[in-house]
Amino acid sequence: MARFTVIPGGRAEAESPRPSRPEQEGGLLAELYARHAPAVFGRCRWLLRDEEAARDATQEVFVRALRALPEFRAASSPTTWLLRIATHHCLNEMRSARARWREEVVRLAGLRQDDGLEPDRRELLRVLLRLAGREEQEMAVMYFVDELTQAEIAAATGRSLPTVRKRLRGFLATARAALAEALPGIALPEEEEL
Amino acid sequence: MNAPHAAGRECSATRVRRLLAGELVEAERSAAEAHLLGCPRCQRVRHEWEEDRRALEAGLPFERFAAGVAERLARPDLAPRRPVQRWAAIALAAAIAVGVAVPLVARLSRAPMDEVRLKGGGASLTLYLQDGGGARALGPGEAVPAAARLRVAVEPAGRRFAAVLLVDEDGVATLYAGPAQPGPLPGAFEWTGRRGELVAVVDDAPVDAGALADRLRRADGIEAPRGRRAVATLELWRSGP
Repeated sequence: MARFTVIPGGRAEAESPRPSRPEQEGGLLAELYARHAPAVFGRCRWLLRDEEAARDATQEVFVRALRALPEFRAASSPTTWLLRIATHHCLNEMRSARARWREEVVRLAGLRQDDGLEPDRRELLRVLLRLAGREEQEMAVMYFVDELTQAEIAAATGRSLPTVRKRLRGFLATARAALAEALPGIALPEEEEL
Repeated sequence: MNAPHAAGRECSATRVRRLLAGELVEAERSAAEAHLLGCPRCQRVRHEWEEDRRALEAGLPFERFAAGVAERLARPDLAPRRPVQRWAAIALAAAIAVGVAVPLVARLSRAPMDEVRLKGGGASLTLYLQDGGGARALGPGEAVPAAARLRVAVEPAGRRFAAVLLVDEDGVATLYAGPAQPGPLPGAFEWTGRRGELVAVVDDAPVDAGALADRLRRADGIEAPRGRRAVATLELWRSGP
């Protein structure tokens, strides 16, 4: 017998805000797939830049959700919770590609010169994420991609507002330094007030 | 790299995704729908979501997705686990395949449990034993009976959020994370460990149970309570063989 087992249908389950019922559990994965898998897949595809890897990562994210079902169900926003797991997982996968960031920044800059296109902001962010610390990475994605407010990020991560601000500034400083190194002479905007 | 909210305080990619996932209710949903109608920026987020959905359904239809999830659930972890846990994970995978419920097994890894100590601040933990005749609180120093059905209650001392984790010789498991609530937390559980500890963290802000579990797994202990955060612990032990 497992050491720790949630017992569905316990006598006091009626008090639970979201009781576990067998007839609902069978459809749980289908519901998760319909509601949340597109966003999770989109996050994995954006970070990993590989369809097959993104499909694998998407399944892995939902495995983690099922293994932490009480925590998932208690989350105030399942979307935010799942995207956070997806971001964590993909950032881990991306670690090995850290060394290639310079080439990618130069490639993005080349697009701008050759085609007159502005590099996609999220694409540039994705490349620069590799240079940041774990917490800076996560908060940069939440702020620049998920468009959460700093207060929402603080609530989701359990960090204070000043800490969130500090991490975002840290990420921006890293990004600015990296761009200056990869593209000498580039005119960078002044650091924004966060 | 512009701050996202410079484009308009009303815009939020997360809000659009929550709307599409059916998470928003009533006034929030109406406001989000109204905003979406007139906002090309948020419409682009919806368009991307729909493209992602089409790509997902084409490359990973639900049946393949479910099979992959079931296969991963059945796969043993890299961390050492008891054989029974492995079988329980396989049972969960099988349940997904056939569409019935089975007990959920927490994912555990080995970790020491040093430096987890009481910093109560008024918060407290109570463990209830359920049996056919009702429920009673576990007494001070009382061993957890074998096969007991357990429920945890947290006195949050006025804090709004709580997380409760179980730490024992097998690792760390999250029992609850969410709004603090009076009375027993949702879900009964059975514990078959030898020695362990329940750890409750209460705070005015949501408690990141994942980060807390990671700290406990690394034996970093819990960060010193800051602000109104408080920590309560309860020792668990079992007598006999």
